[in-house]
Amino acid sequence: MIEVNNLTKEFGKLKVLRGITETIRENEVVCVIGPSGSGKSTFLRCINLLETPTSGEIYIDGEQINKKDVDINKIRKKLGMVFQNFNLFPHMTTLENITISPIRANKIPKAEAEKSGAELLQMVGLQDKAGVFPGSLSGGQKQRAAIARALAMKPEIMLFDEPTSALDPEMVGEVLQVMKDLAHRGMTMVIVTHEMGFAREVADRVLFMDEGMIVEQGTPEEIFGNPQNERTKNFLSKVL
Amino acid sequence: MGIYLKGLQIAYSGIAVTLQITISAVLIGVALGLIVALGKMSSLKPVRIVFSVYVELLRGTPLVVQALIIYLGFPALLQSYGISFRWDDAVLASILVCGINSSAYVAEIIRSGLQAVDKGQMEAARSLGMNHIQAMRFIIVPQAFRIILPALGNEFISLLKETAVLSIIAVVEVTRKSMLWASQSFEFWPAYLGTAFVYLSITIPLSRLVAYMERRMAQSDRSK
Repeated sequence: MIEVNNLTKEFGKLKVLRGITETIRENEVVCVIGPSGSGKSTFLRCINLLETPTSGEIYIDGEQINKKDVDINKIRKKLGMVFQNFNLFPHMTTLENITISPIRANKIPKAEAEKSGAELLQMVGLQDKAGVFPGSLSGGQKQRAAIARALAMKPEIMLFDEPTSALDPEMVGEVLQVMKDLAHRGMTMVIVTHEMGFAREVADRVLFMDEGMIVEQGTPEEIFGNPQNERTKNFLSKVL
Repeated sequence: MGIYLKGLQIAYSGIAVTLQITISAVLIGVALGLIVALGKMSSLKPVRIVFSVYVELLRGTPLVVQALIIYLGFPALLQSYGISFRWDDAVLASILVCGINSSAYVAEIIRSGLQAVDKGQMEAARSLGMNHIQAMRFIIVPQAFRIILPALGNEFISLLKETAVLSIIAVVEVTRKSMLWASQSFEFWPAYLGTAFVYLSITIPLSRLVAYMERRMAQSDRSK
């Protein structure tokens, strides 16, 4: 469970997040939508402290993570992160990408890590790409590999930062399918996305962000079917 | 014709010393350079300043002057304080001078290599629960090493040529061998032609190798 209380983030004079308070429950799939520059990605990146919040508190399973003396590496193992640009390690094979962190950060024996790595590759449909370097994978395959890599740490929560934005249109579907499977298995997921159809289908709840605040939130039916806020209406009229 | 071969042979007889100094100096340069590079990237400002000054001093003065300071100046300084010291072995002093000199250049190479690795790589590694040291060791440094390998090759080539100035502190390497023979035989043209040829016989294959590594890297960049 993630609890965020009055979270703000400033880059110099720029106020990117202006007080976010939100709770994401276990097994919940939450999609964050909103215009570019609304702070969606920053909000997501604050949750695993890739950005340091300016003020406010973030709790993961009741433990505050943005204070001194917190072992951030331990917290991050509970949080899987998937990036827009994949950020696969280009000098390692697909399987090594998946096993490096379990082996090095979690001290899991290599054979064991490789066995669960192979299972994860199977799950994302890349079993025949284990020995291949990321350079020769397609965009969709890269992102599926990146999802498998994040899952290898057995996270409780998965964070997705615009996972399909860098993909060619024909590859979006395969990545969304993997994410859907994950959602059906009960994974807690926070997804920053521009895929409104996906959000509508998969999300338990949709957050609409604008200018560093959560302007409106509700079920997909509420947000897409009957938005209340003017800014939500305005945004949806442009993207739907 | 025979005199040219003689010139070549004389110059070639200094190659072991030239290579010994260059290889040892580059190894020292890489080890010291890594420390200097990390020092220059430190989060502590005084540390950054100290290492920046180190790099500036070494890059801002000629190697030959540095050699004179260490080989002749330094023992004289110690003697003026009553400490008796002189270099028994000019080769040892040369390795030290070239190694320290090289560390300044290598530090810049390493620093730019580390900074050339995409920021997302560190973020991905940290988001997977690796600590900073693990992320550097398994993710950043291996990629930086590939990036800097051609530049390190070039540093080796330029240091190899620079070692010619060590003849001024009486190190009997390639150039000094030729100078000694030329001054005694007056065969200046065959002597120094031979010198040039010996350097070229190392630098040309090496620079081909560097070019090959650069091509390989450009290819792997394209397929990223």
